[in-house]
Amino acid sequence: MYNDEVMDRYQNPAKNGKMEDFEIKIDEASSTCGDRIVLYIKTDGNGRISDMKWQGEGCILSVVSTDMFCENAIGKEINSLKEQDDLAFVENFPIKISPGRINCVMLPLRAFRRGTKEK
Amino acid sequence: MISDFCKKEDFPIFKKKFNGKSMVYLDSTATTQKPKQVLDAIVNYYEGSNANVHRSVYKLADDATELYENSRSNVAEFIGARSNEIVFTRNTTESLNLLSFTIGESLRKGDRILITSMEHHSNILPWMRLEERGIYLDYVGFDKEGHLDIEDLKSKLKRETKIVSVTHQSNVLGTINPIEEIGKVAKENGSTFIIDAAQSVPHMPFKMKEQYDFVAFSGHKMLGPMGIGVLFGKYHLLEEMPPFNRGGEMIKDVDFHSAIFEDPPIKFEAGTPNVEGAVGLAAAVYYLKKIGMEEVRSHEKHLTSMTLRKLEDLKNVKYYGPRNAEERGGVIAFNVKDSSNLGNDLESKNVKVDRLYHSHDIATFLDERNVYVRSGHHCAEPLMRSLHLPGTARASFYVYNGEEDVEAFVSSLGEL
Repeated sequence: MYNDEVMDRYQNPAKNGKMEDFEIKIDEASSTCGDRIVLYIKTDGNGRISDMKWQGEGCILSVVSTDMFCENAIGKEINSLKEQDDLAFVENFPIKISPGRINCVMLPLRAFRRGTKEK
Repeated sequence: MISDFCKKEDFPIFKKKFNGKSMVYLDSTATTQKPKQVLDAIVNYYEGSNANVHRSVYKLADDATELYENSRSNVAEFIGARSNEIVFTRNTTESLNLLSFTIGESLRKGDRILITSMEHHSNILPWMRLEERGIYLDYVGFDKEGHLDIEDLKSKLKRETKIVSVTHQSNVLGTINPIEEIGKVAKENGSTFIIDAAQSVPHMPFKMKEQYDFVAFSGHKMLGPMGIGVLFGKYHLLEEMPPFNRGGEMIKDVDFHSAIFEDPPIKFEAGTPNVEGAVGLAAAVYYLKKIGMEEVRSHEKHLTSMTLRKLEDLKNVKYYGPRNAEERGGVIAFNVKDSSNLGNDLESKNVKVDRLYHSHDIATFLDERNVYVRSGHHCAEPLMRSLHLPGTARASFYVYNGEEDVEAFVSSLGEL
């Protein structure tokens, strides 16, 4: 299914697991597909991400997108992550996404934007 | 194919190829494909008879009105009703909303409405809105195989239960509910009995019974066009109800501060109606009648039992609803166990997790093989909650599907 890069990350996610000393915790649930994802975020105190992990379950695309998001976020500013373009975000995913599955890939970015609104 | 009267070639969409391959369409519970006969009827209407109905006195307008009213008679005859008991709506959802905004409005604080836990959102949300006014919404449960719990229904039927509204066939479990029996019990209780027949009228012989007060269904789920739906209502009940929408067409007389409404069913059809939809639906009804609804039912039953047998051989597949094809329609919701190992911390704690593939992943996997199934919660979230599932994939059959579609579906699923 999908391609090797996607399936490898699905089976061996890099950033899956609980974080104890997080600063921000975001619970995201998508009622339309039953996905439930928690994002744990740690910052360097200056608005830059120092670590990010996730827990939960979802479809392969939302899990892989979330895991990539956590890994890619490290060292980046919260604001620049929030302001990235939706279309570019979806296009950066390793495989082409059909319109019906865009929400799956967008899940971590939407959660991140919502959970860091006032940060 | 199902019979001499229904060939796959009748359906132009099946000529379409994706990467050189034909499609296996298994989502007729969501909407059905349309035969050329239906498409021709719509084009012929616009090319030969288009005018506004019930208004003008010239010949073309008479033609249009006659076509529209004949469509109504054909639909009425199809379910054993009278023409003046058939209201054309947009779809099942609108038919049920019409009831909520008319008979629903007449309920008082403390009254109750009884539905089931296997309803589509269209038979939940129109009633849920009345809870704000102190009206209670009760749900009948179902057993492990998806049979409605009739004892639970009886126990929840109270003196205050003014409306009982039940799906004839679940759009997820496939369960065919004993509506004759439920209707009797509801009428003995003095309740108004409503049937959501969106998944039954298209798929099996439907016989009108004395205990049925209202029956709702959609044209697009029975080979007809989108945007035309039906509400059957007993004439005396339709007569007592206030109008739903108001405006053109539905009046006899309008003064500055008062109006006299038309008789049913026109009273409920404000504005220019969907004439092409009615004409297309009548053509669909004609097409189904030529096949014969007994034949439609037995064809789907055959495909369903064949599929269930094959799915039972796939160890990682779980399907929901009755195991006996006699008790269910041609809709099969299922999930697939994911044996690949996700580096989940539950696994590291030696907790045995029965992971399921997400239904969207199953649907995308099958899509890559040109097999089209639905995924998600199927507009029945309370049902999904009762099953403790986030969603399922779902395959469903209709007259144009054959054994080759079952083979393609099951063998593709086997590759997962």
